[in-house]
Amino acid sequence: MTQNLVLAIETSCDETAAAVVADGKNVLSSVVSSQVDIHARYGGVVPEVASRAHVDLITPVIAQALVEAGIDHSDVDLVAATRGPGLIGSLLVGVSAAKSLALVWKKPFIGVNHLEAHLYSCFLEEPDLELPLVVLLVSGGHTMLIAMDDHLSYKILGQTLDDAAGEAYDKVARYLGLGYPGGPIIDQLAVSGKPEIEFPRPMLHEGYNFSFSGLKTSVINYVRKNPGTPIEDIATSFQEAVVDVLVTKAKKAAIEINAKGLCIGGGVAANSRLREAVLDVCLQEGLHSFVPSRSYCTDNAAMVAAAAWRRYSQDGPSSLYTGADPNLRLPE
Amino acid sequence: MLILGIESATSQVGCAIGGHEGVLASTHSSRGKRHAENLTPQIDFVRQQARVELDEISVVAVDIGPGLYTGLRVGVAAAISIAFGLGIPMIGVSSLDLIAYPARHCQKLIVAAIDARRDEIFHASYRQVPGGIQRVSDPTVSSPQDLSAEIQAQGNETLMVGDGAIRYADQFENLRGVEPAEPGSAYPSASSLVQLAHAKALREEFVNPSELKPLYLRKPDALEINKQRRRM
Repeated sequence: MTQNLVLAIETSCDETAAAVVADGKNVLSSVVSSQVDIHARYGGVVPEVASRAHVDLITPVIAQALVEAGIDHSDVDLVAATRGPGLIGSLLVGVSAAKSLALVWKKPFIGVNHLEAHLYSCFLEEPDLELPLVVLLVSGGHTMLIAMDDHLSYKILGQTLDDAAGEAYDKVARYLGLGYPGGPIIDQLAVSGKPEIEFPRPMLHEGYNFSFSGLKTSVINYVRKNPGTPIEDIATSFQEAVVDVLVTKAKKAAIEINAKGLCIGGGVAANSRLREAVLDVCLQEGLHSFVPSRSYCTDNAAMVAAAAWRRYSQDGPSSLYTGADPNLRLPE
Repeated sequence: MLILGIESATSQVGCAIGGHEGVLASTHSSRGKRHAENLTPQIDFVRQQARVELDEISVVAVDIGPGLYTGLRVGVAAAISIAFGLGIPMIGVSSLDLIAYPARHCQKLIVAAIDARRDEIFHASYRQVPGGIQRVSDPTVSSPQDLSAEIQAQGNETLMVGDGAIRYADQFENLRGVEPAEPGSAYPSASSLVQLAHAKALREEFVNPSELKPLYLRKPDALEINKQRRRM
């Protein structure tokens, strides 16, 4: 049986990634070169630093993806790259590389929406997930609650009005002097803390939009007023507040639209408390839950390949005039 | 030997194909920062005009800067990907060399200056040598005022070239013995790139795609860190 092989490239933020995926679901290779150590000393992603690192890493990462997949470039059927949303300088490296490879290999090219790719990370491991689904997409740049009625058909139910959930983690971690990135550090500390501080649950019962800026401020104010509080307790209480808001709204949405299941995606979906809470709520409500492997939650190119294949099957290739769009929205 | 040259360090983006017979086809566009959109179709167009297939290309030459970083990286990322995709070597040439090269018949000191934004210019100086030009100072970034003072102190008969010399013409126009830059000298050309790369290819001055490094001349975090901190 011939397989349809997609080579996908992802450079929207600070991970240089390439993957080879067969038929939109079988991952033959998924290489991610993270720049997290480079950015850690700045306490966040510095766009120019990220763009320069992408140029240095792009061909070695693609080469490794092809080698690990055990294929030659002549086997590739489609070359894909994330074209937005993200950091413009970073996106352009991946888009330019993918279009160039498509041109010299005489293969079709497709530009992929990074948000759509995150939604399709769920289908990599469970290709037969039943629709409709509610997907909670949470990362350093996005916090969105999406209803997916059919493949490639979405409705954004709500999103953050200020900081993304991952951004709130980073900012709280930075204020507490914990380092970068904040998510894994707070997650780790929260394991041994007590959730005794009642931080606010912003907009808990107000629709599907989120707001995390006020929560971040109350954590900072609390620490100023109570300097002796164990840092683990602050981490646990903050995390409980974030997860409570995310899961309460996701559950409400899933019930309201009569979803068959609830999925999570994005970097914050790697958070152990969020994963646990999603599984719990689905068990309570009799929903099918799907929590992707951590490596498919954070930015990766396998999910880009999955979305690329789905899009290509429906819409065909993108033009070689395709550029990057830092503010690309999810098509509704 | 066929060379594909890619040039995107300034506000224009272009490419050319050439070799022993000279430049076979070339193209440039400069309207509205569309480097990433335009470059791939341009390469395909130039290939058709030159009547060659891309797998006949044996070397990829690229302008490695200095220049405007985002545009520069579009060309460099495309060039290293093409070289990787075809399994062929590369040649990197500085944008300053490219704008000085068309002035190679001039006896004066040639100062190539590219607009670096933020009130600075990238620049280097060149002298005529048999068969071409030779760079006599390292590429550097400085204020137009500093470059002007340097030129004045040296007191050489000087020809200015490049969009940096044009943008800050008022800094150089009253200096004795200095010939101002002409608009035609503003930007690097992909044809010059192919011609310069051809000479280097004959000397086998190749690099692998993974070894090619853009010439940025500024640290990446210089101006971004303060902006980051303020966002908290």
